[in-house]
Amino acid sequence: MKMFKSIKWRLQIWYGLILVVVLAGFGFTAYQLERGRTLGRIDNELHRRVGILANALRRPPPRGPDTGGPPFDRPPPGQMPDNLPARNQRLPIEFHLPPQAADLFDTNDSNGFYFLIKSRDGKEIARGGEVPQSQYAVWGQFEISLVKINREPELKQPPIWTLDGFRETDDILPSGEIIRVGCSIAPELKELHRTAFSLTVVGALILMIGLAGGWWFVSRALRPIENISAAAVKISAGDLSQRINVAEAESELGQLASVLNSTFARLDAAFAQQKQFASDAAHELRTPVSVILTQTQTALNRERGAAEYRETVEACKRAAQRMRKLIGALLELARLDAGQERMKRMAFDLSQIARDCVELVKPLADEREVKILAELPPLEITGDAERLAQVVTNLLTNAIQYNHPGGEVRVKLASQGGLAILAVSNTGDGIPAEDLQHMFQRFYRGDKSRTGENAGLGLAISKAIVEAHGGVIEVSSEEEVGTTFTVRLPL
Amino acid sequence: MRILIVEDEPDLLRSLAQALREEGYAVDAANNGEDGLFNAEGYDYDAIVLDVMLPKVDGWEILKRLRKTKKTPVLMLTARDQSRDRVRGLDTGADDYVVKPFDLSELFARLRALIRRSANKTTNVIEIGDVKIDTAARNVFLKEKPVELTAREYSLVEFLALHRSEIVTRTQLYEHLFDENESSLSNLLDVHVSNVRKKLGAEFITTRRGHGYCIE
Repeated sequence: MKMFKSIKWRLQIWYGLILVVVLAGFGFTAYQLERGRTLGRIDNELHRRVGILANALRRPPPRGPDTGGPPFDRPPPGQMPDNLPARNQRLPIEFHLPPQAADLFDTNDSNGFYFLIKSRDGKEIARGGEVPQSQYAVWGQFEISLVKINREPELKQPPIWTLDGFRETDDILPSGEIIRVGCSIAPELKELHRTAFSLTVVGALILMIGLAGGWWFVSRALRPIENISAAAVKISAGDLSQRINVAEAESELGQLASVLNSTFARLDAAFAQQKQFASDAAHELRTPVSVILTQTQTALNRERGAAEYRETVEACKRAAQRMRKLIGALLELARLDAGQERMKRMAFDLSQIARDCVELVKPLADEREVKILAELPPLEITGDAERLAQVVTNLLTNAIQYNHPGGEVRVKLASQGGLAILAVSNTGDGIPAEDLQHMFQRFYRGDKSRTGENAGLGLAISKAIVEAHGGVIEVSSEEEVGTTFTVRLPL
Repeated sequence: MRILIVEDEPDLLRSLAQALREEGYAVDAANNGEDGLFNAEGYDYDAIVLDVMLPKVDGWEILKRLRKTKKTPVLMLTARDQSRDRVRGLDTGADDYVVKPFDLSELFARLRALIRRSANKTTNVIEIGDVKIDTAARNVFLKEKPVELTAREYSLVEFLALHRSEIVTRTQLYEHLFDENESSLSNLLDVHVSNVRKKLGAEFITTRRGHGYCIE
């Protein structure tokens, strides 16, 4: 069932259960308290009347000194009542109810108190009020009361019970007379039922309000999750620009949303970079293709001399070479990206490699009238010599190309803190600060033009190679002074 | 018709210029943005072919600055084919947009359309009395019979026909028919005019003394 799998429903069910238990407990307690209070009031009335009736049972004062307490008191705890009837027989009981006391048992009164007094042998001594007939079918109750009082002498109050809507109590005098006082509690019971009903209604109302409130609250609390899931669905559908609307950044879900948003942003940036790369690559290929197309179409427009054809073919060759170079660089980058290009792990002398590279670029330096100053002490490192030579050559070539005639290129090798540091600096125009941060970006060229031998991938490839060796490559530049590229490689 | 090409790839620039010259246009070439802008602002070209990626001043900037002073039709030439680039180009004031690599014939057709539109003509065929000029095929007919004209003569006829009823000065003609590399020999134009009159009738081109030429 989907409904019970949903967090919202589960929360709601638990919440509802807890609410029901709390409300039921509260309602039951309230009902019990009210009931106890009502019955307590009635019980007090009953006890009061029992007392009055006991006083109304007049008898001559006792002659024996053995009874220290008040004459008509109940037997003291632990005293056996067996010796009492003998005395009682000798002392006849008189019952005289004072008029003000008789009012307490007025038959017209709605209170409906009644009493019945019987002697020990079951003979009725007096009765008052409306004694319900049915009650006295259960006269045996007297005996029970008697036994109870006898057996449990510590019971201070006489027992009270409720039977068929009547509340009754018995008292057994020391002389053996039994006084039963009762009253109808039908109105009170009705009142209690009303209270119970009210409590139930109020409880049900609170439960409903609580459930509705809980539903609202749970929905509100879970709304960020819905937002997150909606955004995630759109993103998985390919719209990477989607972000989760983070309204409550402080809450746990807000934090989650922030984390997800930053993940999405990184994903988006990575995709955008990839797209840019593909678009740049296509762009770089478009120009040489345009050259070939235009050249050949122009040449074919009419008959031409051998020299003109030769020129066309040469232009096409240049374009093709440019494309070959570009395709090679793109493939290399793609392999480095995919981690397919395994770096060899061999110990070699980096200074030797650097010297070879200097030799390699010497003709270019001579052509540009640039002097190369090398400071290359022997330094053994582990890595891919061929790849690192590519990096050094690339840095040297750049340093020469972006230099003034008569300028200098310095290449310096040093070891510091477990790192091999190779610095290549020149005395060129320097790189403006806004271009500096993009230097290792693919296809990036400061002057925005796409002319020239380089597609703008050399530094990106160098960076990938250095990073594959666990190293870093950095650039620093000062305009009008020169630029320095620094490669740090672990030894 | 005189056209300016601004393109930084030398091989492309050279072959484009050659192809356009062979089509009968007078062509000026600039291989960077600065020179391109200087030329574009200095002459009333009939059209400019402008590359977007240029050293010094890029195509967008040239277009923006040029539009402040001139309405010369501009055809943007670019390797970027994303629609937002195209939108940007057209919004900046480019009149057309061609993505590299392109077909020469398409580029020529677009240039012809640009020039035609800037002269407020909707078709390729211009009829003046008995003379019919097909600007797409670059043919001229007199009473339905084709007339052989040299490329320069054709350009002269086309330019005057596109500016029909206007007086076209000799300077204007020099500017639109010859590029900056050709020495403007003052009598060269007279030779072309007289040749055209021989082929299409003496009254086809009227001379306004002291002003220039006109096709009524």
